[in-house]
Amino acid sequence: MTDQEIMTLIDTTLVNEFELNIDDMAAEASLKDDLGLDSLDRVDMVIVLEKAFGFKMGEEEAIKAIRTLGDIHAFVISKKQQMH
Amino acid sequence: MTHQSAVPDKKRSPLHTAGSLLVVVVMNLVMFPLIVLMTVMGIVLFPICFITGKIVTGWQNDRVMRYFVWVYGRAWMIIMSPFVRFKRTGLTRDNIDMPCIIVINHLSFFDTYCMALLPVSDIAFAVRSWPFKKLFWYRPFMRLANYLDLEAIGWEGTLRDSRRVFERKGAILVFPEGHRSSDGKVQRFYSGPFRLAIETGVPILPLCITGTDVLLPPDRWWMMPATVCLSILPLVYPREFIGDGETAHINLRKHVRKIIAEHVEKMRKEAA
Repeated sequence: MTDQEIMTLIDTTLVNEFELNIDDMAAEASLKDDLGLDSLDRVDMVIVLEKAFGFKMGEEEAIKAIRTLGDIHAFVISKKQQMH
Repeated sequence: MTHQSAVPDKKRSPLHTAGSLLVVVVMNLVMFPLIVLMTVMGIVLFPICFITGKIVTGWQNDRVMRYFVWVYGRAWMIIMSPFVRFKRTGLTRDNIDMPCIIVINHLSFFDTYCMALLPVSDIAFAVRSWPFKKLFWYRPFMRLANYLDLEAIGWEGTLRDSRRVFERKGAILVFPEGHRSSDGKVQRFYSGPFRLAIETGVPILPLCITGTDVLLPPDRWWMMPATVCLSILPLVYPREFIGDGETAHINLRKHVRKIIAEHVEKMRKEAA
């Protein structure tokens, strides 16, 4: 899976889960201010991303530092690289 | 983006006559101190009530606590009754199959108190972290009742604690909007309760509430007389959605939100 495919899968997964507009899915988009996702949404976000990519991320400290969509892209790409 | 209020302006701001202004003033001067007094008395009397309740019923601690939360809500309804009419539709014991996941629209701080209109008391509220942090006088009782702090326990904890409640034929109650609606309209739903239904096979029991946004909406600190209506909709079984695969919880969520929003609108029209 290429980095671009990973980013696309993240975006479509989040669009489907949270009924977001695909046009709003920019890397610099703030989860809270631009996409309207709060702390409860983060619980759902972790679950759908774990299912989409097949790894656990619920206990990761790095999850708490995520602020933007780009942060999620980078986090998941990094996790995928660690797995290989 | 602006929304048109679902509640007529006259009902949200009824201070259009001297008489109604006087009623509102009296209501607030009397009701707030009475609620505080009731709460203080409840806290003082709680140990003896709890021990007595446990001996008489033989229930586990959390089950006894949930019963007393229900009693507290009933006491609040009695206190409020000179100024608030409470109506319920379809809420009989026969209509509530336990275990279930109760989901209800959220309009006011007082919505939780109105759950005493339900004919069952074994209900564990699943809430965000803030009530545990900010409502310190309720905190020990919420802990004793084994309420779910969704943000603290995460998904795995939610699943584990909910299964415990379901095994004993109890119910989990969730406000799927996550916070009170500022305009009375049903907001976006979180996925948690619907994912829980899909994972456990426990049905969703949709409830609709109106009138508490007139009584005490999120943008006002003083109360107004109101008619509070609580209505039940038929159970929604997750098995009807499981075939949808990865989107099962999303489709279930959309379906339940749609029927709640439609019914709330209908209740408002009937009330008007």
